[in-house]
Amino acid sequence: MKDSLHFLREVEPNTYIETCGVDFEDFEVGQVFEHRPGHTFSEASCLNYARHSFDLSPGYSDQRYARRVYGDRVRVPETFVLSAMALTTRTFGKVVANLSMTDCKVKTVYAGDTLYLESEILGKRKSKSRPDQGLLHISSHALNQDGACVCSFERKLLVYRRNLGPYERAGY
Amino acid sequence: MDRFRFPAYIQLGNNRYRERYGLDFEDFKVGQIFRHRPGVTISQQDNVEECINTFNQAMIHFDAHYAEQTEFKRPLVDTTLIIQRLMGLTWKTYYRRKRIVEWSCIDMLAPVFGGDTLYVETEVLFVGANLKDSESGLIEVSLRSFNQNQKKTCEMRCSMLIYKRDHLPFSAKNY
Repeated sequence: MKDSLHFLREVEPNTYIETCGVDFEDFEVGQVFEHRPGHTFSEASCLNYARHSFDLSPGYSDQRYARRVYGDRVRVPETFVLSAMALTTRTFGKVVANLSMTDCKVKTVYAGDTLYLESEILGKRKSKSRPDQGLLHISSHALNQDGACVCSFERKLLVYRRNLGPYERAGY
Repeated sequence: MDRFRFPAYIQLGNNRYRERYGLDFEDFKVGQIFRHRPGVTISQQDNVEECINTFNQAMIHFDAHYAEQTEFKRPLVDTTLIIQRLMGLTWKTYYRRKRIVEWSCIDMLAPVFGGDTLYVETEVLFVGANLKDSESGLIEVSLRSFNQNQKKTCEMRCSMLIYKRDHLPFSAKNY
C-alpha cells in the first residue's frame, strides 16, 4: 500500500499522527475508492437542511402539502443528496479547492435511506500555473442501501502535491 | 420603465389576500432573467455546521489555523453549502418546482469566505414541450451568483420540473 494510503504516520517511535487524505502522487487513473461510513438521512436532518437553504416552497415547509404531493415519506432535498459528495473528503482531504462539477444527476431519495459513495479516478495531471498542486478528474456515484445508484457526478479538483502543501506549517 | 408582473396574492375577498408565489411552467420563456432577492451572508459558523451535517472532513473548511497556511489565509466555504443556499434563494420564482433533475455543470469561479454575501440571478435557457398528459414540464436555467463586490463566484446549469398551471396539488383551493 502506498504511503499516503495509510491513516497514521509514525513521527517518532510509538507516536503517530493521523493523516488526512491521499497525496496527489498516489492517485492513479482507474483506482476506485469506496468511501465509508455511509450517510443515513433522517427526517429531521432533511427538514433541517431544507430550512437552512432558505427555501420556502411548500415541499418541505408544509408537510401536509408534501405528503399529499409526494407521499408519506419525507424526500431528501436534492441539494442534500448532492452534498453526499462530502463523504469523499476522507480520501480527497488534501483538496485545495473544488473547481467544477458536471453531469450531476439526482434521483428521488427518501428519509431513512443510506447512501454510500464511491469514486473513480478518471484523470490526473500536474498544474502548470500552480506548481505545488495537481488536478484530479473524478467520477463519483452514490449507492443506496439496495445498491441502486441515486446520484452521480464528475468533478475536477485541485489537491496539493506531496510535501508542497501547508501541512508541515499547520502541524499535520 | 418598471412594470409589475405576477401577483404575489390571490384576492379572496374585499380585504383578504392569500400569498401565492412561483411561476407556472407555462409562464417560463427562454431568455427571461430573474434577480432573486434577498441575498444571504454566509458565516464561517454556517460553513462548520454544513461540514457537521454532511460529514465533510476536508479541514480547509473548518480548521482556521490550517487554512491560514494556505494561499486563501482563511477557511473556504464548502461547495455543498453554496449550492444549497443558491438553490434555496430562488424559491420565490421556482416555488412550483416538482423536483430538480440534474445540474449539467457547476463551476466554482471564485472562492467564498465567511462574511461574504451572495446574490443569485437565473436565466431561462430552455423550456421543454408542453406535453398534454403531463402535470409538469422541464426547464433548464443558468444560475449565477455574485458576491457583495459584484464578482461572479459560481455558475451552474440546472434542469428542473415545474408544475403546469392548475396542476399543482391544492391549486383548486387557491394554494
